[in-house]
Amino acid sequence: MREENGSKAYAELVGRGRVHRRFYTDPEVFAEERARIFRRVWLWLGHESQVKNPGDFFTTRLAGERVIVARHADGAIHAFHNRCTHRGAEVCPASSGNARNFVCPYHAWTYRTDGSLASVPLDQGYGADWRARMAGLRLEPVARLASYRGFVFGSHAAEGESLETYLGPEVRAAFDNLVERAPDGEIELAGGRTVQRYRGNWKLQLENSIDLLHPRILHRSAIDAADRVDHGGQPPSIEWDIVKSNGLTLREWDGMKIAAMPGGHCWMAGFLTKAIDENSLQARYRKMMVERHGERRATEILAFNRHNTIVYPNLFVNSRVAQIRVLAPVSVDCTEQHGYIFRLKGAPEEMFEASVRMVNTNNSPSSIVTSDDHEIFERIQQSLASGRHEWVDLSRGLDDEDAHSHATVGTNELPMRNQHRAWAQYMAASSP
Amino acid sequence: MTGVELWHRVQQFLFREARLLDERRLQEWLALYTDDAQYWVPYAWEQKSPKDHVSLFYETKSLLSMRIDRLERELSPLDSPMARVNHYLTNVQVDAVSVAEGAELDARAHLLFVEHRREEQRWFAGRASWRLRPRGEDFLIAAKRVDLLNADQEQGHLRFAVPF
Repeated sequence: MREENGSKAYAELVGRGRVHRRFYTDPEVFAEERARIFRRVWLWLGHESQVKNPGDFFTTRLAGERVIVARHADGAIHAFHNRCTHRGAEVCPASSGNARNFVCPYHAWTYRTDGSLASVPLDQGYGADWRARMAGLRLEPVARLASYRGFVFGSHAAEGESLETYLGPEVRAAFDNLVERAPDGEIELAGGRTVQRYRGNWKLQLENSIDLLHPRILHRSAIDAADRVDHGGQPPSIEWDIVKSNGLTLREWDGMKIAAMPGGHCWMAGFLTKAIDENSLQARYRKMMVERHGERRATEILAFNRHNTIVYPNLFVNSRVAQIRVLAPVSVDCTEQHGYIFRLKGAPEEMFEASVRMVNTNNSPSSIVTSDDHEIFERIQQSLASGRHEWVDLSRGLDDEDAHSHATVGTNELPMRNQHRAWAQYMAASSP
Repeated sequence: MTGVELWHRVQQFLFREARLLDERRLQEWLALYTDDAQYWVPYAWEQKSPKDHVSLFYETKSLLSMRIDRLERELSPLDSPMARVNHYLTNVQVDAVSVAEGAELDARAHLLFVEHRREEQRWFAGRASWRLRPRGEDFLIAAKRVDLLNADQEQGHLRFAVPF
């Protein structure tokens, strides 16, 4: 695609009720997505509980680039590129820890936890103006950094809307609810993370997570296997419940509420089986919430019944089970999906253990549920190039689509079209 | 029974477990496990507990049976066509937990797992350990743990269908 007409041509990959196959398969499109979407928007970096104390840090990626997030001695959180300003080596190889300084292993250039350059060996060798030049040799800061309710986001774009505006009220409600579900009003990221990799485009997972027509069909083998389990009079395990919860009828899925919001964001109503909600652990937890907040407020918090709230372009928030998933696109045909868990402070520890087991079940590479999704993504990626037909159909519910009323029936593909409209808008604008 | 005899019997038992997996005789494989068995593949290196940290697999016999039932009915796109797998066990050692007759014992081995499916071959190296419960001249598996050398690799893993 030629640069001179590139922007218009990219947007034309998204049609009415359909998208062009190059949307998923063209490496050039992928490179431009990185520049025009992932380098422009706010992306989730982590949670403040990962850097509780001065010197605490973790390393992660921001739109594929390696960054360090650290809490400095003054209590402020900083994010900077994990790249020595001397020769470019990674200054911090650890995934997390506590450090007074970051010392480059190559020539010992030493940085403070706010990214400033503290010292280099034999500094008289750098000339008379070295002291002045040092200020410009700090670790390169991530252009913008902001937190919402303890969730830390970064952006490579120096200019743009605020994080709160970017998220909008309906997405913010998912973060609010995740924090409010903790009896102490505080959560912490814990329990490690899962990383599932699949050889397919990142947008396939984005669509799939709001696709309510597929669970009963694609996950049939897992649902059937769950149906045949003999529990021998024992209560079913949380793992079984998670698998079984996909087994709603097509009619039931169609009756679920979904919503699409400006900016490509969307959410879907909760669908976990009653067994997960109505057990003695939940009853104990509910009692704690009532003691803290009173009957009315506790009921209000716990009645917030959403499954995924999908923050465009790559974040899935599930407050009900205290989990977050994030997509890290690797290439046009390879994607990582990271799963994280939160501990609700003040809640019974068994609730955290249940969240761990839910993530094992759904988001480990061994999952008998999402592995089927990833298998399908790989087959789509392989088959899309075949044949002369250029378009992929996303027309379900198009006829009664009201582009801005956004709550609709479950199997309507409106939220996917809403994602792809946001894509087209970002891609039509030149890179920041 | 001498140490050599015990070692030989344990090793033959572990080879049989590997063969049942390789030959896709999954119900027979599952029958080697006690009803209260735990099958665990940790995510973190030297992971201490499956309760407070995610795992690659952390399954009871009931969950394993659900997994196997699904594989055997071949309804899932995940496992069609079926993967061909080989388990290689080396460095087998036996640690008796107690000297008492009929007491449980621990065995360990290095594991190499090769899987071929859909034009691709991949392999994993790891350290496996078993808690074995004697049953007559034979054993049952009360617990199995497999620590993959690359369990926690940054880029993650493509899906796993068949247990290690």
